[in-house]
Amino acid sequence: MNPKPLGDTAVTRRGFFQLSMGWVAGTFAVAATAIATVRFLVPNVVFEPAQLFKAGAPEDYPDGSITFLEDERVFVLRRGNTFRCLSAVCTHLGCTVNRSDKGFHCPCHGSVFNRDGAVVSGPAPRALTWFLVTLSKDNRLVVDKGQNVAHDKYLIL
Amino acid sequence: MVPHHLWTWFASTRVGRSIFRVGPPHSNLERSQAMVSSLLLHVQPAKVNRHALKASYSLGLGLISLYLFFILIGTGTLLMFYYVPSTTQAYDRMKDLQFVVSAGLFVRNMHRWAAHLMVAAVMLHMCRVFYTGAYKAPREFNWLVGVGLFLTTLGLSFTGYLLPWDQLAFWAITVGTNIAGYAPIVGPKLKYLMLGGNTVGQEALTRFYALHVIVLPAIGGLGVAIHMWRVRKDGGLSRPDEPVSVAESLPLAQLPTNKSYGLMELARGTTPQVGRDPDDEVFSWPSLIFRELVLFLVVVAFVLFLAIFWNAPLEELANTIHPPNPAKAPWYFLGLQELVSYSAFWGGVAVPALIVTALVVLPYLDRGREGVGVWFARERRVATTVFSVCVAVAIALTVVGTMFRGPNWGWVVPWRTPPPAMEGH
Repeated sequence: MNPKPLGDTAVTRRGFFQLSMGWVAGTFAVAATAIATVRFLVPNVVFEPAQLFKAGAPEDYPDGSITFLEDERVFVLRRGNTFRCLSAVCTHLGCTVNRSDKGFHCPCHGSVFNRDGAVVSGPAPRALTWFLVTLSKDNRLVVDKGQNVAHDKYLIL
Repeated sequence: MVPHHLWTWFASTRVGRSIFRVGPPHSNLERSQAMVSSLLLHVQPAKVNRHALKASYSLGLGLISLYLFFILIGTGTLLMFYYVPSTTQAYDRMKDLQFVVSAGLFVRNMHRWAAHLMVAAVMLHMCRVFYTGAYKAPREFNWLVGVGLFLTTLGLSFTGYLLPWDQLAFWAITVGTNIAGYAPIVGPKLKYLMLGGNTVGQEALTRFYALHVIVLPAIGGLGVAIHMWRVRKDGGLSRPDEPVSVAESLPLAQLPTNKSYGLMELARGTTPQVGRDPDDEVFSWPSLIFRELVLFLVVVAFVLFLAIFWNAPLEELANTIHPPNPAKAPWYFLGLQELVSYSAFWGGVAVPALIVTALVVLPYLDRGREGVGVWFARERRVATTVFSVCVAVAIALTVVGTMFRGPNWGWVVPWRTPPPAMEGH
């Protein structure tokens, strides 16, 4: 192809297709690389504790007790023949809350929660999460951290 | 033979000349050649304006940041020979560095203190550039590069924070990544991407390690190169406008050609180095080189001094159940943590985003040409006041978060009760 003289700005059909195909191919290549890179960095498998776990037999928990399960970062509450499970993870920035006389408090930024997990004061945007508690066939409490329930939903035995 | 003579003798030998290309410079021509014929020295101009050499103007803060970056690369590389980014091994390796490895504690001390100093130096450098109006045309883009380097510095510090895998590391990163989760729309996904999962664990440690030892240092190194390149291309360090000389008002082609330095000295804009009154300029060799060397030695000496007398803190092994009370971020994030204790969205997302946006648009909004190259110029009283108020608020929040916050992030009075456990104590 003969080089065109400088300053010739007329667009030929071939030139137009070459340019537009070039831009399309280039954009596609950059976008595909970017998407593939981000997708590569998002893990498909995580090596973390299961969301669904057994929390022992109901008899293990005395009446009126609030028990902290360290590995799962939850409290198991028993009153009479009712069972509930409360997340110990602060809804503010993920610290583990401690029990206090009137409920729970977070040591990191000072959020205070009452016994139902509702926010009393502090920066926490939401109440602590209650998890679904069920009973397995072999008479064990089963907590599903993937399923949130209202604070007044109990497992009644 | 005194060392100076030893050096000039070696530089003038056959071997010395083969290494340095130019022998010990005796004339101004050779002083220029010494600068431009060395890979390391040619980064800098052959001649430099007197104003740029004034320590009272620049305070040397950019160079100090760069030297600390060098120290961090050196000590960081050494630490990599022993460190293992594994949740089961990392903490033991820190203990090994403290008690088993020869000079391990010392190298870690240097790395930690240089990191703190670099954050401080970069912040102060930014303040200096603001107060002297040095971000104004034609230096707007270099201010942007500087903002990028500032964020890279914070990112390096934040990712390095997790690596010891102690209590401080684990909970500072737990809090920090949860803050990212508050970002609108992309927040939860961003948090998952940063951690490589839902909680701070092995995946997060691996990711932070990769970011800390290769990704962010590479970005920082490239940024520094662009930053320094632009300092030269934009006409050297900012300085007040000078009366235009005859030579400068002439077209470039008519400039005198009997200069001892070449076209590489041409810089864009209204402040080219050539054409200036020669009295304003001195040869970089030795005026600039000597000052830089002295400053480098001062910075190294100061880091060594800190590393000898103060040990880098290492708390207990990370306990994923019990956060320390109070759990505190490093000092440069404590102002934000104080804000976060009121509202995670405002303190963790909105205010930082506003600060970064303001820094980015600043040189394009503040287009006045007055007051460049002068500290606290009269013409810039409004800008100076606004910036100073912002800095004062940031300092106040940091002081409150550091000294006046105790267990459960409640108020404490530092001079009545023992202060909360802080870094360096």
